[in-house]
Amino acid sequence: MNNLEKYDATFVDTLMVGRDALAALKYQDVEAWDSVGHMQLMNALEEAFGIEMDIDDIIAFSGHEAGKGILAKYGVQL
Amino acid sequence: MNALLERPPAPAAPALPLTVRAGGPLQTLDRRPMAPFAAPVLDFLSALSHDLLASPDARRHPDIATFAFWCRRGHLQPMAEAWARGPARVGRGLVLHIAPGNVPVNFAFSLAFGMLAGNANIVRVAEVERAQTTVLCAALQRRFADPRHAVVAARNRVVQYARDDTVTAALSAQAAARVLWGGDRTIAHLRSLPAPPRCVDVAFADRYSLAMLDARAVNEAGSQALADLVRGFFHDAYLQDQDACSSPQLVVWQGEPAACAQARQRFWPALDALLEREYALAPIHAVDKLVQLCRAAAALPQAQSSVRHGNRIHRVQLQSLPAGIEQHRGHAGFFFEVDTTGFEPLAGVVDARLQTLTTFGLDRQALARRVVELGLTGIDRIVPVGQALAIGLVWDGHDLVSTLSRIVEVP
Repeated sequence: MNNLEKYDATFVDTLMVGRDALAALKYQDVEAWDSVGHMQLMNALEEAFGIEMDIDDIIAFSGHEAGKGILAKYGVQL
Repeated sequence: MNALLERPPAPAAPALPLTVRAGGPLQTLDRRPMAPFAAPVLDFLSALSHDLLASPDARRHPDIATFAFWCRRGHLQPMAEAWARGPARVGRGLVLHIAPGNVPVNFAFSLAFGMLAGNANIVRVAEVERAQTTVLCAALQRRFADPRHAVVAARNRVVQYARDDTVTAALSAQAAARVLWGGDRTIAHLRSLPAPPRCVDVAFADRYSLAMLDARAVNEAGSQALADLVRGFFHDAYLQDQDACSSPQLVVWQGEPAACAQARQRFWPALDALLEREYALAPIHAVDKLVQLCRAAAALPQAQSSVRHGNRIHRVQLQSLPAGIEQHRGHAGFFFEVDTTGFEPLAGVVDARLQTLTTFGLDRQALARRVVELGLTGIDRIVPVGQALAIGLVWDGHDLVSTLSRIVEVP
């Protein structure tokens, strides 16, 4: 699994959304991505990529697309 | 492994009339301290974090999710690295925690603080069982049973017993530190139980908290910023029905009267709309609020008017801030509010009981400097609205890793 597949799979598993909905997906678009879902997703991404995210980045992580740029800061190329 | 590390645990304690909720029998407790942020503790807490965040319980109990998110590796590892750069430290030994009843997840935070500072811990959870207690004890127990976490399992116990001085006294007599949560009378009583001469007490007594909102910032906030502010305030005040020490009881508006009036017209109706969607008020709380209103009107000559938004928000407007305002607590959506300009009117009534100042549109660093310059006895935390309940390793003005460990000095 490459990094992008891993990234997408983490969203699908944590938020229980279809893969085709991912590209446009933003925070609070679906019921599962509320504040608790956000904590679950951030933790799952940290575990999947072995990174430790800064709180400002966790707050700025507003969607599937925006998250790619944030992960790049931690050396995760998608 | 060298011989010293293989030494058997300290002498066994006599059997006490208590229920162990997580961990083995008390007699087998290993009291030997470790370095703060020791690898076995970080491994344990991150495993616990993973279990809790992955379970459906996180969804049912946002406070459990918050605890789990706090103790994930991504949050703790950078702190571990920062502490590793300081002088050599080791935990004090056995820490006894008497956990609070008002905020159910705080026993888990208290335990995690003791672990991270390098200690063995006995945590007494409140007698009244909350759903969160059950979930967290079960999760702790599952990980304690995992042989990979034997080092942590050997050093930690969660216990429950009816209020009983003989038990607390027996545990106190063995404690290198005590972390005491409770009302002022409970704390005074617990402190009167003898502890070893070098025992350190950290007391989390009753505190009072407030929000300070800049009227102009509220008036100029866009719809998203206003929605975030209102959600943050809802989180701070309503998630624990205002029972947490850090939940706001008083709202201090900063600005000229006209600007404050306008800001109130934006803020409270927006909060009420959110409450209507997301907050179920127990009927008993509605009655409580009416009683509080009558009491406040009788006790505070500064009270000039009150406004009700259904039963969800009761607010009492004060002409000025009276000394002793911290004696007047609300519950489940009962607030005092006052218009002020500058920090001085508040500084004039700050008491040691004041804990958290949540702010919107204000310079928190500048406020912190004022607290220091004016030599105030209260206000330990200044955080954005929405962060009132975000408990951490610095709490009530104590740095818990420092307090619950000791320095091995090499001058």
